[in-house]
Amino acid sequence: MKHLSLIIVLFTSFMCLSQEKFSISGTITDATNGETLLGATVYLKNTNFGATTNEYGFFSLTAPKGDYGLVISYVGYQTFSQNIQLNADKKLDFELQESATSLDEVVIIAEESEVVSIKKPQMSVSKLNAQTIKEMPAVLGEVDVIKSIQMLPGVTSNGEGSAGFHVRGGAADQNLVLLDEAIIYNTSHFFGFFSVFNTDAIKNIKLYKGDIPAKFGGRVSSVLDVRQKDGNNKQFELNGGVGLISSRLTAESPIFKDKGSFLISGRASYAHLFMPLIEDVKDDKISFYDLNLKTNFELNKKNKLYLSGYFGRDVFNLSSLIENNYGNATGNLRWNHVISDKLFSNLSFIYSKYDYNIVLDFIELDWDADIVNYNIKYDLGYYVNNNLTLDFGVSALTYNVNPGEIHPSTETSSINALILDEKRAFEGAAYVSAEHKITEKLALNYGLRFSTFSRLGGQTMTNYINNQPVVYNSELDVYERGEVESETDYSKGESIKTFGNFEPRFGVSYQLNKASSIKASYTKSAQYLHLLSNTSSVTPLDVWTPSGQYIKPQISNQYALGYYKNFKENTFTLELETYFKQVDNRIDYIDGSDLIGNNNIETEILNGEARAYGLELLFRKNKGNFTGWLAYTLSKSEQRALGGNAGGPGINNGDWYNTYYDRTHDVSLTGSYKLNDKWRFSSNFVFQTGRPVTYPNGQYNYEGLSIATYANRNENRLPTYHRLDISATLTPKRKADRRWKGEWVFGIYNLYDRRNAASVGFNQNNQTGLNEASRISIFGRIPSVTYNFKF
Amino acid sequence: MKKIYKSVIFIALSLILSSCEDVIDVDVNTAEPRLVIEASLDWEKGTTGSEQTIKLSMSSPYFSTDTDTSVTGALVTVTNMNSGSVYSFTDENNGSYSIDNFEPIIGNTYQLSVAYNGETYEATETLMEVSSINQINQSIEDGFDDELPEVNIYFDDPAEEENFYLVSFYEIGDMFPFFADVSDEFVNGNEVYYFFEKEEDEDSNMTPFEAGDTVEVKLYGISEQYYRFIRLLIEQYYNSGNPFASNAALIKGNCINLTNPDNYAYGYFRVTEVDIATYTFE
Repeated sequence: MKHLSLIIVLFTSFMCLSQEKFSISGTITDATNGETLLGATVYLKNTNFGATTNEYGFFSLTAPKGDYGLVISYVGYQTFSQNIQLNADKKLDFELQESATSLDEVVIIAEESEVVSIKKPQMSVSKLNAQTIKEMPAVLGEVDVIKSIQMLPGVTSNGEGSAGFHVRGGAADQNLVLLDEAIIYNTSHFFGFFSVFNTDAIKNIKLYKGDIPAKFGGRVSSVLDVRQKDGNNKQFELNGGVGLISSRLTAESPIFKDKGSFLISGRASYAHLFMPLIEDVKDDKISFYDLNLKTNFELNKKNKLYLSGYFGRDVFNLSSLIENNYGNATGNLRWNHVISDKLFSNLSFIYSKYDYNIVLDFIELDWDADIVNYNIKYDLGYYVNNNLTLDFGVSALTYNVNPGEIHPSTETSSINALILDEKRAFEGAAYVSAEHKITEKLALNYGLRFSTFSRLGGQTMTNYINNQPVVYNSELDVYERGEVESETDYSKGESIKTFGNFEPRFGVSYQLNKASSIKASYTKSAQYLHLLSNTSSVTPLDVWTPSGQYIKPQISNQYALGYYKNFKENTFTLELETYFKQVDNRIDYIDGSDLIGNNNIETEILNGEARAYGLELLFRKNKGNFTGWLAYTLSKSEQRALGGNAGGPGINNGDWYNTYYDRTHDVSLTGSYKLNDKWRFSSNFVFQTGRPVTYPNGQYNYEGLSIATYANRNENRLPTYHRLDISATLTPKRKADRRWKGEWVFGIYNLYDRRNAASVGFNQNNQTGLNEASRISIFGRIPSVTYNFKF
Repeated sequence: MKKIYKSVIFIALSLILSSCEDVIDVDVNTAEPRLVIEASLDWEKGTTGSEQTIKLSMSSPYFSTDTDTSVTGALVTVTNMNSGSVYSFTDENNGSYSIDNFEPIIGNTYQLSVAYNGETYEATETLMEVSSINQINQSIEDGFDDELPEVNIYFDDPAEEENFYLVSFYEIGDMFPFFADVSDEFVNGNEVYYFFEKEEDEDSNMTPFEAGDTVEVKLYGISEQYYRFIRLLIEQYYNSGNPFASNAALIKGNCINLTNPDNYAYGYFRVTEVDIATYTFE
């Protein structure tokens, strides 16, 4: 409540300033393909009046009556300027020309606009556009959004071949991953070797590592906001590529006479086509595909409709022993409505689904599981005046989690059918936030989100003796399942448990001088959905579970402080941030927990907590033939779970221990050098502390085997991880009148063939009977070649 | 099931993506040695079960090659808690403690007591019954690989209760047996089928079954508590280093140190009924 009154005071103090003012509003698009430009800057020369476009390319700027030079700029585009006479509210749309039109053009967008970024209170955000991502060397030439963001400070992977990512010491399930606003529950293909985002269909991505705007909620560590392209509304365009693992094809075209456009993009792997040729894997099949779709239609200047969808699938068959397929499906229908020059609105209807199916032939079992959610959102942007912008809105989200249905796959199967309880929940939220310029140097960002979550009935809940689903057995010093006391039936409309949380967000920036500023922020957020996983790598089988009677929502508080400096007119930028994050109710798994096919997950977990802190440095070169960045992160991420209601000391004796994704040092260096119009070279270098693991501290003989003994969780570390990748892009000269543009990308991943340990196993040698440690390394030196084209 | 699935994924991915495995030197911590109690009183069907052996040893550093860690001079007794009969085990001075007049009774509860170094360890278990192996045979198409032979066993799971099993497969001449834990969670009341197949592995010199190979299969009826212990032990033993398996953790058995609880012992006191079958491949 304290926060709310502060907001009201701040609002009213600025509402009463009134002069004769007019506003200019409109949309900014790319001149060649009509794509709306997100985060383009519009300002009035020699004044402090300026604005940036929102996620739909819309802007609104208000200034006193007068004559101005209007300037529109966007990195990678030619700056546009025009004199305007501001004597009435104006509605103006602008088109920007790309500064160069070759396919291999180097565009790196460090911030929405370097000039504004120093001033804006928003911090802890990283933005990459599809072009930047495409230029980075990639495993087997497969361009990958998730792998690219891991080159940024504060973002790490959980080892090679793991598509989940970790932001500022947070878990993989604490990232809200949105594709055109729809939640993506599993970001991986091939069990984590590649990600689900087809860069040909993507316009840009934004990663909020902290200082998360109030319009986002539901996850405690980060938001990865991925936006699909709208589709070319000027002319038909074809893009594609042929790589070692997959091929891509994207078609875009105007429809309804420039009133709309569409994009359809497909990507499919074809390794499985060659697998029959290889003796060892001839009966196996491993493949994936993606389909992205987007279309929009402009009803009139004030109303625009968008429809976007995604469908992806992985198929994995192993010698007809196991058949597995899984994937995400999403859809979103949006209505953009400009209510007035200063008020922009968007209404979205969103659908997301993730499901998997496994057939295990050898035990004749068929397993299905899914999570489905529907979401209605209404978001508004109110451009009050040059100093104040308000965002507010509401959201309603339903979840339907089906954790598993097991059926015998044949009539003779010895498996009994089992259907785990379906779980239902509702999440509602309302928010308001303001971006507020107090003085020329001081700006604030403040907001409040209120979220509510109800676990709904339609299932039976188990009650335990002493309300203890997990009990500490003090005699044996282990945690065990609690004893069932009774069961309660909840009908469908009934709420089993309801939670509510106020989530204040606050940011401040203070400009020290023309080229530098400091910023600070505070974010509180709540997460009601948890991914159950007691392994170090996220697998497609992991099941999401909503909060309820036994699992409390995760609550995080993050504090961050940053220093930003530009050198030589933004040729170089420096960002230095430090953060502290603390998460309550992070669930942890008792030793020996069994999660699969378990209807009573509460018997396997304790409510724990997590904390992370660190220092991040990002130094970029943004202009010239050589561009790139150096990112360094020094951090710590830990968790613990005390016995609490279950009694006893807790997991790992109740001591803090390193999370699986704790990395003390993490250095990423990425660079791209344009030699001439024909050749461009890129390189990545990664160096990071090894992942925490638990190594044995002894052995004993039991049943004729040498059994390893273990002590504290994650006390040891894998060897240091480092790797160098290079790539070269060749753009053959073409005749000016030919529409076909092609480029070759040659790459070598892990150039010096470092055998990075994905894991270290401790086993007894079958012949000698002696114990040994064996390292599993996944990617050695891997050359690749990809051909991309545009027509 | 999950275990199998996850190992399969890992193996498959390793194969397909040409990952490589090599033996490396790793520094590990070394904990203080602890007493290890391997007290497995297994009553083989069709025998009197009167001859039993309990083994005591000390744990050692993980890479230690010192094989003699036997513990002598301990006092080992087992008490039938239902009848009050006490069975004293004789120290064979080589780490083994044996007896030849033990009386196993299904459903009775037994208590183990080990006095060593001035400290007393105690554990309690109940003798669990086991179904007989109905049939043991060989096949080719079943199992993981439909070109490699496997040995199959079939047994009836009683419907009215939860049952837990430990199965071991041992090919005569091999270094180690192979262990599997089975619960009737998904197969309650059905005829349960379990198989064992060997794959070609050059690194460990393992070869598939062929005619003339003899396999000894043991099916133990075990308590739920022992099932939880052995399941973890088996999972950790076979899945070390597999990122899709649960993370390694300390596994405590049921032997409690009454004198000094922090100085707990490794190992377990189990009392089971076991059915043994052998099969020679044709």
